[in-house]
Amino acid sequence: MWFKARSSALGDFEQLVLLGVLRLEDGAYGAAIRQEIHKRSGRDVSINAVYTTLDRLERKGLLRSWIGEPTAIRGGRRRKFYGLRPAGVTALRQSYHAVRSMAEGLEHRLAPK
Amino acid sequence: MIARPPRLADWLLALRVPAEWRDYVVGDLHEEFAARSAVAPGQARRWFWRQTLRCLLTPLPSPELRSRTPDARPARDSFARTILADLRAGVRGVVRAPGFSLGVILVLALGIGANTAIFSIVNAVLLRPLPYDEPDRLVRLFHVPPQATFPGLPTFPVSPANFYDWQRASTRFAGMTIYRFRQFTRTDGGDPEAIVAGAVGAGFFEMVHTSPALGRAFRADEDLPGRGRVVIVSDRFWKNKLGGSTDVLSRTLTLDGELYSIVGVLPARFSIDSWGLAARDLLVPLAYTDAERAGRDNHNAQVIARLHPDATVAEARAELDVISARLEREYPQDNAGWGATVIPLQELIVGDIRRSLVMLLASVALVLLIACANVANLLLARGLARRKELAIRLAMGAGRGRVFQQLVVEALMLSTVGGLFGLLLALVSLTAGTTLLASQVPRADEISIDMRVLLFVMGASWLTGLLAGTLPALRAGTGDLQGALKEGGRSDAALALGTRRLLIAGEVALSVVLLTGAGVMVRSLVALRQVDAGFDPRNVLTMRVTLPASRYATAPQRTAFFDTALERLRALPGVQAAGAVEDLPMTGGSVQPMVVDGRTELLPRDQPTVQVRKITPGYLTAMGIPLLRGRDVSQNDTDVLLVSRAAAALLWGNVDPVGRRATLPLQSRNRTLHVIGLIGDVREEGLAQNPVPAVYEYSRERDWNSMCFALRTAVPPTSLAKPARDVIRSVDSAQPVEDLRTMENVIDVTLRSERFSAVVLALFASVALMLAAVGIYSVLSHIVRGRSREIGIRTALGARTSDVLRLVCYESMLPTVAGIGAGALAALAFGALLKRLTFGVSPSDPVTLATVAATLVAVAVTASLLPGYRAAKVDPLKVLRTN
Repeated sequence: MWFKARSSALGDFEQLVLLGVLRLEDGAYGAAIRQEIHKRSGRDVSINAVYTTLDRLERKGLLRSWIGEPTAIRGGRRRKFYGLRPAGVTALRQSYHAVRSMAEGLEHRLAPK
Repeated sequence: MIARPPRLADWLLALRVPAEWRDYVVGDLHEEFAARSAVAPGQARRWFWRQTLRCLLTPLPSPELRSRTPDARPARDSFARTILADLRAGVRGVVRAPGFSLGVILVLALGIGANTAIFSIVNAVLLRPLPYDEPDRLVRLFHVPPQATFPGLPTFPVSPANFYDWQRASTRFAGMTIYRFRQFTRTDGGDPEAIVAGAVGAGFFEMVHTSPALGRAFRADEDLPGRGRVVIVSDRFWKNKLGGSTDVLSRTLTLDGELYSIVGVLPARFSIDSWGLAARDLLVPLAYTDAERAGRDNHNAQVIARLHPDATVAEARAELDVISARLEREYPQDNAGWGATVIPLQELIVGDIRRSLVMLLASVALVLLIACANVANLLLARGLARRKELAIRLAMGAGRGRVFQQLVVEALMLSTVGGLFGLLLALVSLTAGTTLLASQVPRADEISIDMRVLLFVMGASWLTGLLAGTLPALRAGTGDLQGALKEGGRSDAALALGTRRLLIAGEVALSVVLLTGAGVMVRSLVALRQVDAGFDPRNVLTMRVTLPASRYATAPQRTAFFDTALERLRALPGVQAAGAVEDLPMTGGSVQPMVVDGRTELLPRDQPTVQVRKITPGYLTAMGIPLLRGRDVSQNDTDVLLVSRAAAALLWGNVDPVGRRATLPLQSRNRTLHVIGLIGDVREEGLAQNPVPAVYEYSRERDWNSMCFALRTAVPPTSLAKPARDVIRSVDSAQPVEDLRTMENVIDVTLRSERFSAVVLALFASVALMLAAVGIYSVLSHIVRGRSREIGIRTALGARTSDVLRLVCYESMLPTVAGIGAGALAALAFGALLKRLTFGVSPSDPVTLATVAATLVAVAVTASLLPGYRAAKVDPLKVLRTN
């Protein structure tokens, strides 16, 4: 839908993936992002879902990607790495601040039990 | 050592993940698996499987998805892709409306199935070449008899001497062979068996380009009298009667008491039922004696020839005309007035049936047209019901062309499925009708579903789909879009009424044509059955006995056999009278010139001819042929003659023939026959033919070898079949009996093709009637639903059920009456096709037309009753409130 596509608002999972990329810096590829999300948020997502989101974010202009060298442990397959574009950093910053400001004063109610 | 993930899971992943993502996705999974299996291998495997299953279920970014990025303009869909989408939508539609789809598919299956069945027959009979080498060059040669003496007879068997003259003088043929049929009694295989063999002249096998599959053809030296004790058997005979073993060539058959060595077995494809010679189980050398070769006045042989590669049939005919004219001059006594002609074998085999088949093909095409109209009607109704959906599509920017395409694709899909079911239906009905067909149609054994039939089914299905789908598709995409979208807008039923009425009128018109055709054929059959044959066929049992020359060498022996047999047959309880005749009525027989005593014999061309039958005392009584003057023949008569009324008129005019004398010069010029009685006319040539002049001769001193017995019975004739056969056995235990059947059955056989046409046409007509009824019903239901508000108001104002019914029936009358009018006109035109096929009824018979019109009106009224009744029963308050 066009109105949704034009929106710069990030989805919940998109935020997790972008944060994963930011956190992993140069080592951000599918499996690493998946594990990071699993480790920190507890969400065990499928690798397909991760790549689908990465691909969509790249097409939105928020990410760039590059291909690594094949390695033996991957059965001679290559990695695809992702990094944030400035637009991606901006988008992440906006949504983070939006969440932050919306949550201001509510910390005690949002604290994990 | 790197741990390997489960192979099957790996393989599944490779299948699921597109190549452009495989490196990253599969590689990531492998990498993580390696890390995990270093800690806990079992767990790692389970983890890998779980991940694989999740990958199988979740989508990956696909190239299509990418092309739909918001900024890129959506590319115009390719034709193939839209067709695929339409097909998917079509399947969904079919599944969503199973009743509608089933209806359409059934109607189409019926229409296409009937067409496929008839086309398979046409294909086998008319289109497929005969199973011989260059079959279009194979021709049969015939005499053309003098028309003054053989009126209406187009061809005649050939006399041997003339054949040998043709063979010597002609240049337009690559070869020609003479053959005839010979009856044998086979006694080496259990019960004595009568077999008709083909006796073929030298060079036969070279001429038809066939050599035996096993063994050899006849040698030239075997075509001599006394030398031809060799036989070639058919593939069928070899397999069924001789066990199909290869040592058959060392075996013999006992035919007429003589040993014949089997020298060959014909290939299976040589045998076709529809060419008399090729249907024979045995072939023997012709082995004519010199006297037989020189016979010029005896027309009893058949000729098959192959045209010269450069020659046409017309050239061959012209050449034969020239030769015949010369032979006429050289041998005027035998040949005056005798011409010759050439007829392609294929034409000869299918000639009579062609007209019936073309008529049936035309009729069955009408059935398909009616099915088309019906399906168009159904599709139209459905298109109207989907108006809202289509309007939304159009409003969303779908082109009209796109909507049209979708509707046509849906129609094509339905018609394809209908065609497949139709093919199945055709297969089933052809298999079920095998026996019926075999007796009606030449080459019936060759009917099958081949490539051409499959192409026909495909073509018919798609043409039907296009025909039925286009009109509704055109109609559905037009009109007032906003109206369609509005709630409570004009009701669907009021739309496209004109189109639907037109379709109904068309269906009715086509039904009129078919029903009229069927009616005329049935009436013609009835008329034929009511024809007075000149004898009484009820309660008559008949059978033929042919005595082999080997065991009955002399005339007294043969006479004694028939006398004894007749005496014992008459003594059977339940037999009222018994006699014998050379050939039963309607089974063919001898035609000879006749010379009235005191007049000079003319050339054969000018001499009057009559049907000549040899009879015994008792034949007239057994057949119920009335004796008009004089007396019947009796046992001790010598050279006596009974003449039919037509023969008397032909030969003696108004003078009383009894007491006159005449000769039959073909038999003997010295033997004078005395006319002792005048009898009623018998339709010797068939029920449809007028009685021809006929004479019946008897003599105490006589020489017969083959006679048909006729027994008039006081009990059902079939109950005497076994006793009658036993009587013949009691006279001679080695004597076979043939064609044991009732006289009514003999007549029935002659009516086969009429009955076949009538039955098939009636079948088509009833299908047409049914389809028309369904069509009228569905349209009326629709109309009534649309007018329910009006009807509700009428009912509220006091209209009774009968008033509403009348209203609805009136609604159906308009298209029905229009259809009947158009159909009657078309039926008159179609009648020309039927002209040659009917007897005693005009193809534009007013009684039939009136009956058909009444039937259709009745059907229309009946089809209107249910919707009308439903409308009348509707609660007016409810209707008024909902609308």
